[in-house]
Amino acid sequence: MALVELRGVSKSFRKGDETITPLDNIDLNIEAGEFLSLMGPSGTGKSTLLNLVSGIDRPDSGTIMVAGTDVTQLSRSKLADWRAANLGYIFQTHNLIPVLTAYENVELPTLLLKLSSSQRRQRVELAMEAVGLSDRAEHYPRQLSGGQEQRVGIARAIVAHPKVVVADEPTGSLDAETSEQVQVLLQRLNKELNITLLMVTHDRDVAAIASRQLVLDRGKFLELAEAGQTS
Amino acid sequence: MTRYVLKTLWRHRTRTLLTVTGAAVAMFVFCFVGSVQEGLQRLTSGADAERSLIVFQENRFCPTTSRLPEDYARKISELPGVRDVMPIQVWTNNCRASLDIVVFNGADPDQIQQTRPLKLLAGSWQQFTSQRDAAIVGRNVAQRRGLKVGDQFSIGDISVNVAGIFQSTVPSEENLIYTSLKFLQYTRGLDAAGLVTQHEVLLSSDADPDRVASQIDETLRAGSVATKTRRKGAFQASTLSDLVDLIGFAHWLGYACVGLVLSLVATTTVMSVQDRIKEYAVLQTIGVRPLRALRLVLAESTLLCLVGGWLGTALALLALGLGGFAIGAEGATIAFRPSFDLALSGIFTSILVGVVAGLAPAIQAATVPIVNALREA
Repeated sequence: MALVELRGVSKSFRKGDETITPLDNIDLNIEAGEFLSLMGPSGTGKSTLLNLVSGIDRPDSGTIMVAGTDVTQLSRSKLADWRAANLGYIFQTHNLIPVLTAYENVELPTLLLKLSSSQRRQRVELAMEAVGLSDRAEHYPRQLSGGQEQRVGIARAIVAHPKVVVADEPTGSLDAETSEQVQVLLQRLNKELNITLLMVTHDRDVAAIASRQLVLDRGKFLELAEAGQTS
Repeated sequence: MTRYVLKTLWRHRTRTLLTVTGAAVAMFVFCFVGSVQEGLQRLTSGADAERSLIVFQENRFCPTTSRLPEDYARKISELPGVRDVMPIQVWTNNCRASLDIVVFNGADPDQIQQTRPLKLLAGSWQQFTSQRDAAIVGRNVAQRRGLKVGDQFSIGDISVNVAGIFQSTVPSEENLIYTSLKFLQYTRGLDAAGLVTQHEVLLSSDADPDRVASQIDETLRAGSVATKTRRKGAFQASTLSDLVDLIGFAHWLGYACVGLVLSLVATTTVMSVQDRIKEYAVLQTIGVRPLRALRLVLAESTLLCLVGGWLGTALALLALGLGGFAIGAEGATIAFRPSFDLALSGIFTSILVGVVAGLAPAIQAATVPIVNALREA
């Protein structure tokens, strides 16, 4: 059984008098440990798909099973609990809490789990180390560069040991050099820590770091190629 | 998460400071108004107000116009239910409402010591009982007028030596100056030899106050001056009737203060939440439950109110404790005193207002449409 299973998922929006259906009865499987990138033109529903898998949005129809739980059936409160334990979210614009230090930002998701303070500290330190920011723990977001902020965001997404991590254009707001560092980091997290990753991007080069690449176009998936065959 | 709330408030410290200051000022006024209400309540209820009677000349209001024979005390003391009678000559510098009223009560010094719940803070009873122009001064008057033992104090035609400063379990007493009855009766301008302003009647434990009051008036009807006898609380409420109406109206001022804090903290919290609506969406994406997001906002608004309220309440209690404020009219005074109940009601009101003020923004934060909020710049 796949870690993430989408069956017959549809989602429509009203835009003025028009109804837009970016996702139309789609199916998708993501295996545990897989690194899947999702590409496609703007407005094709990539981020919508990410939001549905994350349980921060709901489909019009279909089922979304993540690690054996149908997230479409959970209440808003239960979904929050489920996300705290099972999902890490990497935002395009980092979205760190400005009043908290890098350490405190990474610590946030662990406060929602039943962990002792020493377990919490250990996890945060490991996550900070994994993204190479142990020396920036006491810095506030405004004292970090864009790349460092994104690495804190990644540490925050993996600190709770989620079953799946979703990344919405994680390099979208970074310069080329920083973008490359983040790509390497994501690849390392997937390979070394076996983290299942679902990444949305419109950059072909960024998409190429994933082990599997899909293109979403007019509500349907097109499989591009296995890793290493696109370059 | 507590750290998050505190850091958020600290981040916008100017806004926080202004809100806390506003809440403090409003709660200061709220407590002041509350102390006036409490003072009135104390004056018109309690053992002293319920278990003693004041015999006054019929159809007279200001102490200068009531002139009863001192001898009435003997007739009253013979009535069943009467434990003791204390003839009192009252002199006041102002029959109208005043914040600095000075009221002299002249009575037998030994009787004052035995029947009044007074405790000397400085000076001696011996000097008070033996020296003709000696006076013991309530600590509020002493505080207001800067009097200490040994001082000579003059007002109008009266000049006394301060023989002691006292405190009392009946707060309004602390706005009085006690002298001997003879001294006040023979004061120039009073011409009151053999006359007193009123008789204070102490009742035995089984006596019915209203029945004894009727009996007193009935008995003295045959005398040279008709009397009107009432419970001390009712007498004081009637004496201060104009002020009672005003104080009754003042409680609306207290409610207005609460409303002011409510709107101030609600506005601050709404602004704060609207500024950070994306932050709440991020928190919920990470896994913060909607109820927890709601609690975070409520904690913020309650903390603002509590700090402001606590500060305002503490300052009000301090001012009330140090200021010795009182308002009086026609010889009766209402003392404004700090009290535990006042502190408790200030803090409780602050918490309640904090929770109510935070409700609407808290619901907004808890029910934020996550996807839409995350799209905001």
